[in-house]
Amino acid sequence: MDKKTRDDLLKLFQSKLNEAMRFYLETCTRCGVCTEACHVHASMGQVRYIAAYRSEIVRRLYKKYFKGRGKFWPSVGEAKELSEIALDELFDAAYSCTGCRRCMVYCPFGIDTQQLMSIAKLLLIGANTEPEILTLLADTSIEKGKSLELFKEGFLEGIKRLEADVLEKWQTEAGTTAIPVDVEGADLLYVALAGAHSIIPAAAVFNAAGENWALSFFEAVNFGAFVGDPTKTKLILDRIVNEAKRLKIKEVCICECGTAYRVMKQLAGKQPFKVSAITEVHARYLKEGRIKVDKSKLNGAVTYHDPCQIARNAGVIDEPRYILQHLTDNFRELTDDPRYNWCCGGGGGLVAMGEDTLDFRMKSSKVKVDQVKATGANILATACENCHTQLSNLNDHYDMGVNVQFLSSLVADALVR
Amino acid sequence: MSDEIQVIKVFDLKGLACPMPVVKVSKGIKEVEVGQVIEAQTTDPGSLSDFPAWAKTSGNEIVKTEQEDKLIKFYIKRLV
Repeated sequence: MDKKTRDDLLKLFQSKLNEAMRFYLETCTRCGVCTEACHVHASMGQVRYIAAYRSEIVRRLYKKYFKGRGKFWPSVGEAKELSEIALDELFDAAYSCTGCRRCMVYCPFGIDTQQLMSIAKLLLIGANTEPEILTLLADTSIEKGKSLELFKEGFLEGIKRLEADVLEKWQTEAGTTAIPVDVEGADLLYVALAGAHSIIPAAAVFNAAGENWALSFFEAVNFGAFVGDPTKTKLILDRIVNEAKRLKIKEVCICECGTAYRVMKQLAGKQPFKVSAITEVHARYLKEGRIKVDKSKLNGAVTYHDPCQIARNAGVIDEPRYILQHLTDNFRELTDDPRYNWCCGGGGGLVAMGEDTLDFRMKSSKVKVDQVKATGANILATACENCHTQLSNLNDHYDMGVNVQFLSSLVADALVR
Repeated sequence: MSDEIQVIKVFDLKGLACPMPVVKVSKGIKEVEVGQVIEAQTTDPGSLSDFPAWAKTSGNEIVKTEQEDKLIKFYIKRLV
């Protein structure tokens, strides 16, 4: 690695060094409490997958370039040079971590491995060694924001074709639009994903609740966050923020996508609208009596996988359980305390990297499979697209014999007048 | 298959979860030569804005889009 490249990368490193990050970098006592916290280590048993080991890869670079002892006496300071080999290690650490933060819950100091991995991801971007597909997906999302007028007509045409399916689930009054788009003054802006499964059930529930809503032109997922690029993350986020402001929206409701929810909730800053996960909105409709569901529609034992970004990292834990109480009398928890739930193994961009990560995702999530099997449930519900894909892949790979379902679809299927 | 366009490979992306249609087409386009055309079949309404944005970003060209009920067909020429 030449000096200029290294200097440029170190500037990126420096840009991440706020007070919290310095605390994470300087506090680990190697107590080992995090050893069993990572699903990858618990499933594969390799030392490099212990949270403290991952963090150490970043920490040693920090010691080398940002601490006096590492600079002048590297052998004692446990410092490591930023080299091509170090970049390979950063890649291995960052892209085997799903950012689930289970280790953070165990760590007595609350060290946030996901934040430390964000340094690794930023250095990989700086060295052009990040996963190409994640950057392409992020750039595609940004392009949509820049050229909305070019794509609008095709999108509206595609949405129109879904209306009959929405009406099949919930018949609205004649003259009302089953999937409203671009409605100034709507109370709620629903930000979905590209697939019909993310739009049809949600639309049926909004219509059943009599919500004054509109569908966003943009997809919720933020690939900028997956690849760890703060600039792209903000550009992707701003598309939705600007749309919500233009339409004078009161509430932005994020579909079943963990990263999208957490990014909108925690990185959008103070905005003139509230941010909710669709699970929170559905729980509210049930509480207020705006929708009614029929328990007899769902047969069998049901368990629920808490998406890490929605539950552990954003606190939406009670709402899905409240919904499930209305859907079934046969609910079984995966774990006594949902904050300690195992990650499904698909986060951090791993599912979005497709088949390239499939083998690793299957091997690294064996503990999740064992956890689901132990419940004896035959329906596995969740509220995140990434989790749904990963759990479906695990279901096929390990022959789990469960029916993986989106929670919002279960609500839509159980609607009654 | 379109009458006028010679399609080298067809990719069935129907019903795939986000973001697999774009991921698979990004990989798939590299399986043909520059100048050749692939057909991507999807049922995602969002693909009607995702695919043109992807083509612009990746430097490829959507030469034709067809819609038959819920099935959407993109004919994409590899340019890079």
